[in-house]
Amino acid sequence: MSADAQTKIRSPEDLAQLRQELQRLRHPERPCLAICAGTGCLAYGVNKVIDAFHAELELRGMADRVEVLATGCPGFCERGPLLTVRPQGIFYQRIQVKDVPEIVEETLIHGRVIDRLLYQDLRTGEPVVHEADVPFYRLQRRDILWMNGLLDPTRIDDYIALGGYSALLKALYTMQPEEIVEAVKKSGLRGRGGAGFPSGRKWAEVRHAHGDLKYVICNADEGDPGAFMDRAVLEGNPHSVLEGMIIGAFAMGSRQGYVYVRNEYPMAVTNIGLAVEAARSHGLLGEDIAGSGFAFDVAIRRGGGAFVCGESSALMQSLEGNVGEPRAKYVHTSEKGLWERPSCLNNVETWANVPLIVNKGWEAFAQVGTEGSKGTKIFSLVGKIQNTGLVEVPMGVKLREIIFDIGGGIPEGRPFKAVQTGGPSGGCIPESMLDLTVDFDELSKAGSMMGSGGMIVMDDRTCMVDLARYFLAFLKEESCGKCVPCREGIARSLEVLTRICDGLGQEGDIALLQELGETLQGFSLCALGKSAANPVLSTIRYFRDEYEAHIRDRRCPAGVCKPLIEYWIDPALCTGCTACARPCPEHAISGDKKMPHTIDLLLCIKCGACYDICKFNAVLIRSGESPSPLPGEGSGEGSVPSLAVEA
Amino acid sequence: MSERVKITIDGKEAWVEPETTILEAARTLGIDVPTLCHNPALEPYGACRMCTVEIVGKGWSQLVTSCNYPIRREMEVLTASDRVVRGRRMLVELLLARCPDAPLFQEMAARYGVGRPRFETQQADLCYLCGLCVRVCHERVGAKAISFVGRGVEREVATPFFKISEACIACGACEFICPTGAIKVSDITDKPIRPLPLEFDMGLRGRGNIYIPFPQAVPNVPVIDRAHCLYFQAGTCRTCEEFCPPHAIDYSQEDEFLDVDVGAVVVATGFDPFDARDKPEFGYGRYRTVISGLEFERLASASGPTQGKIKIDGKVPQDIVFVHCVGSRDKQQGGEYCSRICCMYTAKQAHLAHDKIPGSNITVFYMDVRAFGKGFEEFYDRVRAEGITYRRGNPSEIYRRGDRLVVRAEDTLLGRTVEVEADLVVLATGVQPRADAAEVASMLSLERGEDGFFQELHPELRPVDTKRRGIFLAGTVQSPKDIPDTVAQAKAAAAGVIVELSKLRRKAE
Repeated sequence: MSADAQTKIRSPEDLAQLRQELQRLRHPERPCLAICAGTGCLAYGVNKVIDAFHAELELRGMADRVEVLATGCPGFCERGPLLTVRPQGIFYQRIQVKDVPEIVEETLIHGRVIDRLLYQDLRTGEPVVHEADVPFYRLQRRDILWMNGLLDPTRIDDYIALGGYSALLKALYTMQPEEIVEAVKKSGLRGRGGAGFPSGRKWAEVRHAHGDLKYVICNADEGDPGAFMDRAVLEGNPHSVLEGMIIGAFAMGSRQGYVYVRNEYPMAVTNIGLAVEAARSHGLLGEDIAGSGFAFDVAIRRGGGAFVCGESSALMQSLEGNVGEPRAKYVHTSEKGLWERPSCLNNVETWANVPLIVNKGWEAFAQVGTEGSKGTKIFSLVGKIQNTGLVEVPMGVKLREIIFDIGGGIPEGRPFKAVQTGGPSGGCIPESMLDLTVDFDELSKAGSMMGSGGMIVMDDRTCMVDLARYFLAFLKEESCGKCVPCREGIARSLEVLTRICDGLGQEGDIALLQELGETLQGFSLCALGKSAANPVLSTIRYFRDEYEAHIRDRRCPAGVCKPLIEYWIDPALCTGCTACARPCPEHAISGDKKMPHTIDLLLCIKCGACYDICKFNAVLIRSGESPSPLPGEGSGEGSVPSLAVEA
Repeated sequence: MSERVKITIDGKEAWVEPETTILEAARTLGIDVPTLCHNPALEPYGACRMCTVEIVGKGWSQLVTSCNYPIRREMEVLTASDRVVRGRRMLVELLLARCPDAPLFQEMAARYGVGRPRFETQQADLCYLCGLCVRVCHERVGAKAISFVGRGVEREVATPFFKISEACIACGACEFICPTGAIKVSDITDKPIRPLPLEFDMGLRGRGNIYIPFPQAVPNVPVIDRAHCLYFQAGTCRTCEEFCPPHAIDYSQEDEFLDVDVGAVVVATGFDPFDARDKPEFGYGRYRTVISGLEFERLASASGPTQGKIKIDGKVPQDIVFVHCVGSRDKQQGGEYCSRICCMYTAKQAHLAHDKIPGSNITVFYMDVRAFGKGFEEFYDRVRAEGITYRRGNPSEIYRRGDRLVVRAEDTLLGRTVEVEADLVVLATGVQPRADAAEVASMLSLERGEDGFFQELHPELRPVDTKRRGIFLAGTVQSPKDIPDTVAQAKAAAAGVIVELSKLRRKAE
């Protein structure tokens, strides 16, 4: 932290002056190595790369001339670790320690581009030199994420230099609280946490609720498998969230805020903690914020990682120190929330949108998006997709654009089957609906939901019954168990789905699942239970034939459900290389060298080891009586899409 | 109070205070909404979802739980729409699958036409996690000894770390409130679970903390047992206060001492029954089947703990022995005097036992029978004629043989020792002066006789007067006596009072 950090900002002029000073130090022509140090890239070992750059620059005596910037996650996790060499904006991907000397020598010293580290356009195969030209980035609209790759999230100076906290000062000095609430209302901002409740309405309710003590809360308890939008924002640009919260507190008349962040996000916990400290020492948090007389402070509370604690009333229970259990919200939390006091809970991404609205004005914000959903939305694109990562797009783009244009489509040229949106409680959208525009209302109409923005892409080797079973198994673990429909209903739905996957499905099981689904939707206490049936109901809606195949024909069309499939070796394709026999744990594969092998089905445990290893695609899966070839013949991975890119 | 709000439930209209719940409104309208986790003493919880109802509007409807939905605006509600009933059925099916052995859900299933659940029964459970026990322990008792542990289907009610609870006060509220009998206090604590015996029934049955001391009590209103009331002991609970519609519960009431100016006093403080534990050879207090005359009285009473059926621990005794003069005419224990009532009440009780237990063998051990009152001798003859055996002799010992008792006595008519086996022994416990008789006597400056009873002025001529003018005696405070004698003496005392008061009035005039 620089010495300046101790100077308190007392007026808009102070901030402007500090910004000028900071920008002067950050000359745009100064060479800078911006390296993603987000969680994904850290898992790739980027720390060692950063150390190597420091060592290399030290060795060459360039350390004081070249800045090494450990940034937040810019989103292109598929290609990490990521490096952007500025000021040229040269984009290197999948860099390793061994590349470091070459990058310093070639690019930094001689200004030459290293071709092998460049990203290649998936369609044309052409190398792309500049970050801005990478299709993954080019097609996005990064109103929230744009700063992530430009700043070190542990330094408030970087944020201020990029224009940070100008919205706060604008709000404090030029706007009335009522005016801010009105602006948020008119902007059409809706909660990014899942339900899509109009934020302005919530703010107005809290502002007008009775009571001196009001709370603003940031929900950073992102729990959907495969979702990491909030994580990236909180880790990569914590000040934007904090600034949004302070503006919100000013608008609603709150003096105390909380960030509820899951303990599984250690970097987010650290970075928001640093941000709070830095904001305090700059006079942007605490008593008399920026000399305006307004007082507000933020405390950070770590959650234990229960999925249900992302639900607002359960989160507040947890904040109070109780077991995280939801309660009825017939009386809104904006009236009686945390400690029975008016509380405004928004998620990370929602708060991060606030400075944007204040800075640009609600009119500009409302120009982006659709009729009912304004602004941009960040999605985490995972599963069977070429470009795994974070995607920020304006509301209203088509699913097809996200998956194929930005996401690069399905690997290995396999056909797209479905996309699951909205996390475990979301629904599956089939290929026929790829031209659906993505906003809160359209996704709900299709039987799915926006959720917090998880997007899991599936190809033809995904069994939809198995997928529903997978999500229900997750939800069964995460149900708090308070209300009967959620606790018992999810467990029983899972029981029925499991018997269908095991080939023991009965006539009437589909109807039973639908009945259970109806009860879950109508009778559950909280949104977790109400939406828990979405994976089941949406897959029944769009992939009913797969359910019927399991139940009537005892067949898994995708070749996934183990009790319904068998592995066999096509003698015409088998070369007798014996590669499959070696890894077989049960010694179920026999055959002479260079002669076609066979699998003893009585011994086979269907582990798939032979299938994975066969180079000639001679090991095949068949299901049911039909010997017809199944999708997935060829090399294969399991059915359930790999969910977490960090893994 | 803000303005009342109109609500229409199943076509019936009501005007209610804002914030009234739909459930409360429905119940005032006499509409039954099923609940499985609701108790008016506790905060609404909304977990069972059985009370879900449908709020209908023009072109929309919403399912809400009626137990915690506050009415704030005019609305129309259906408590048994198709959608509601369909969901309730599924809930019952789910609960029956979880708790197949719970009669509660078997009955509900029958009511909602739910057959065998379409799910596998994994592990039969009685607990369906309604949380009533946990909530009563937290909200009312304040002990917080139990809580929910775990998540989802793994959730269960437990003590911290599944250990015997230190915090539990063994009040039993959890067990009491549990609709399926799933929770036992003895699983939570190893503290002794103390039943509260109903004193009037000689402890033969229990009572609540709030109870009417005995039938026809004056005044005939309930009292709170301070020594066991959670509010008086721990400052918690206060449930009764909320439940009493005329708000008659007043925790601030205290015992009072009154100074009253009077012209005459009648001392009618009665007697104490002899405590048969003082004669250990009879095993009273050790053997559950050795009981006192008063206990037998409650057993035989139609308003008693067994509704008049003579049973001990659920068993009807066949052989019954009555023992006379327990604590009377006894130089070692009790009084040397005759208690005057035991011969006849024993005859009556023997007659009742004979009447209520046909074929029973009844033996009465006596010293001599003093049937001195009007019609008494005739009754004694009748009882003997019913086949009840009177044996002359005082038992020396009662002991256990197997699960029966043996009464050992010398039959003084036969001149030899006899042993009679019995399932029940009734001790004809005698009359004693009250334990606090000395205190009362000194307060009134009255004298007592050698036997401890209050001394009358003259044993023959002034049997109700005392040496202090204006103070009279009535009943057993003076000496053991039966009801007719007591009534006679009471009337005499009343007459004495009248005389005394009229003298005072004349003096005043």
